[in-house]
Amino acid sequence: MYIVIIGAGNVGYGLALELYSHADYEILLVENDRGRAEVLRDELGELCVHGDGTEVTFLESIGVSRADIVIAVTGDDSHNLIACQVAQHRFGVSRTIARVNNPRNERLFQTLGIESTVSAASAVLAQIEADLPAQSFIPLLRLRASGLEVVDLHVQPRSRAAGVALRDLDLPDDAVISLVVSGDSSRVPDGDTVLEAGDEIIAVIGQESEPAMRELVRSPDEPQREIDEVLQ
Amino acid sequence: MGCGRVGSTVAGRLDADGHDVTIIDLNTQAFRRLPGSFGGERLRGSGIDDRTLVAAGVREADAFIALTQGDNRNLMASQMAKHLFNVETVVTRVYDPLRAELYGRLGLRTFSPTRISADLAIDALLGTA
Repeated sequence: MYIVIIGAGNVGYGLALELYSHADYEILLVENDRGRAEVLRDELGELCVHGDGTEVTFLESIGVSRADIVIAVTGDDSHNLIACQVAQHRFGVSRTIARVNNPRNERLFQTLGIESTVSAASAVLAQIEADLPAQSFIPLLRLRASGLEVVDLHVQPRSRAAGVALRDLDLPDDAVISLVVSGDSSRVPDGDTVLEAGDEIIAVIGQESEPAMRELVRSPDEPQREIDEVLQ
Repeated sequence: MGCGRVGSTVAGRLDADGHDVTIIDLNTQAFRRLPGSFGGERLRGSGIDDRTLVAAGVREADAFIALTQGDNRNLMASQMAKHLFNVETVVTRVYDPLRAELYGRLGLRTFSPTRISADLAIDALLGTA
C-alpha cells in the first residue's frame, strides 16, 4: 500500500514514523519548507521529499496516482483541502484524509467530498466531554454518510428516563437503544425494560436527535452545555 | 477578498460603477491602496473564515471574487462562497495554470495570470498582438 503524507510537522512526522514500522506500507512524507525537509531527509532518507503537495506537477512527479491514500496534515486548512481535492479529482486517488485545524471547517470539507476529516480540536473537546464527571451524554462515533451517531448515555437520578419502561419513554423516531448496562450485566432491551438511574445506555440516534436524547437522561440539576457553545 | 494591487483596483472600479462592494483583507494597511473615492465597506479578516464571510454579507452577495496571493486560500474561500453560501457568481484567481484548469472543470470560474502573462509575452515576442 502506497501512502502519501502531506505536511511534515509534528502530526505528519509522527504519522510517518508510525506507519513506516508496518512492513506492507510504502510511505512518502512531503514537506513544503526546504529547511525542514532537509533536516528530515538526514534522519529519514528517501522517506521525505521537499515539494508543494497541492501542486499538480509535483504530485505527478511522486506518482500520486498510484497512491492508495493521501493524508494531508499541514497546519493550514486551505492546503489540506486543496491537496485532497487535487489528489482525488486530478489523480483519481479514492481515499483522502484531511486534518481540519479549525473545527468550523469540518462541514465544508464534508460538503466538498473529503471522505475523512480529523480534527484535533474536536477530538480534544469530545475527550473533555467524556471526562466531565457529571456528563450524561458522550458521543462515541459519528457515521457521516447516514447522519447517525452512536452515543453513550448515563441515566441520571431524577431524569425523565429513570424508572420508566422503554415503551413509555418518549424516544425520538430515529433513536434505537441497542444496549443497557446495569452494573456488571448488560442486556439488549425490549419495550418492558425499565431504565434505572445509574444505567448506561448505548444508542444509535440521528444527529438531529441529540438534544432530545440529552434531555431524557439529564439530571434536572445538570447544566446544559453543548460543544458548539464551547467552540464559539 | 484580497486588497492587493489587483483587488483594490477591481474594488475601486466596481464601486465607481455603482455596485455595493465589501473588500476583505487580513491587513488594514492594505486598504490604503483603495482610491480615495472608494465608498464601499472595508473588513479586516480572513476570507477562509466563515464568520468573516458572513460579516462581509456573503449571504446576500450576488458575486464573490478571490484575489489574494495564495492560490489555495482563494480556492477554499471561493468554494465556501459557492457551496456553503450559494453565491451565484464566484471568480477565483489561481496562479498555477494546472490548478486553475482543474477547478474550472469542478465548476469555479477561474483565471490564471500566469497563463495570461505567458500568452501575452509570446504574442509580443512574435508580434502577433
